Amino acid sequence: MTMPHAERIWIALLGLTALGAWLGETGGHGWALSLTVAFLIALKGHLVIDHYMGMRDANRTIRRVLHAFVFVVPGLVLLSHGFGAAIARLTAIG
Amino acid sequence: MSASAPDSVAADRVPGNKGIWVGIFCVLVEFLLLFIVYFVAKAHHPEAFLTGPDKLATVAGTTITVLLLSSGYCMVKAVDAVRRDDRRATLRWIVLAIVLGIGYPVVKYFEIRWNIANGVDDKAGIFYGVYYYLTLNHLVHVTWGILGLGWVAVRTGIGAYTAHEHGGLEAAAVYWHTTDVIWLVIFPFFYVLR
Repeated sequence: MTMPHAERIWIALLGLTALGAWLGETGGHGWALSLTVAFLIALKGHLVIDHYMGMRDANRTIRRVLHAFVFVVPGLVLLSHGFGAAIARLTAIG
Repeated sequence: MSASAPDSVAADRVPGNKGIWVGIFCVLVEFLLLFIVYFVAKAHHPEAFLTGPDKLATVAGTTITVLLLSSGYCMVKAVDAVRRDDRRATLRWIVLAIVLGIGYPVVKYFEIRWNIANGVDDKAGIFYGVYYYLTLNHLVHVTWGILGLGWVAVRTGIGAYTAHEHGGLEAAAVYWHTTDVIWLVIFPFFYVLR
């Protein structure tokens, strides 16, 4: 018997969470970690939006806004990693 | 090729109701601004954000993630059950979602106690200041979500929802899933990313 769809998504999300927790415990840093975290945020967000919220078959505008949120944030993770000093300069007061 | 009529109706379907989506978009904008604060603080204090996660309990953040994702799964099953007009199953799944959801503030309580015992309070540095502000703000939104789930549990119990009319239940579910989406960002910010 194949596992129902919702259960598969739930288990996939738990697996991705375990991967994130493992990365947190290893205490690493650098581009590899930032890229992995960005990927995990985008993938988990996409799974929740399309399969938990049921947006795959719903209003496209709402779906696009939700996806924009979970794709913009990973972009910010990478920007922050690559251009931290520039961001600090741009946002310095005084 | 143009979409068939049922496809186009599905593509325009707004889960829950329009009001809840106004609220959800406000919450997303609020947290996006808070995330920008996180990135700016990180840019100014890279050392604090490099070592900050070392003093936090990853197990607490992971447990909260598992609780929220599992509670969200229960709400997926609840919506599925109400679409089948199975009131008892709907109520059962909502109650389970609430029980798992309440696990979040319980874990948070013990996490904060553990933090304070280990010197991680609001004066411990910029990383922990941002951590407390963002996570406690998220906890407030989760509390609204739990109250919303409680309300739809009562409404389910009195038979207010049917297979054809369950917008309120779906609205509570999509709001609850939104708190999942936001936590999926917060978790790596404070427990994983350096």
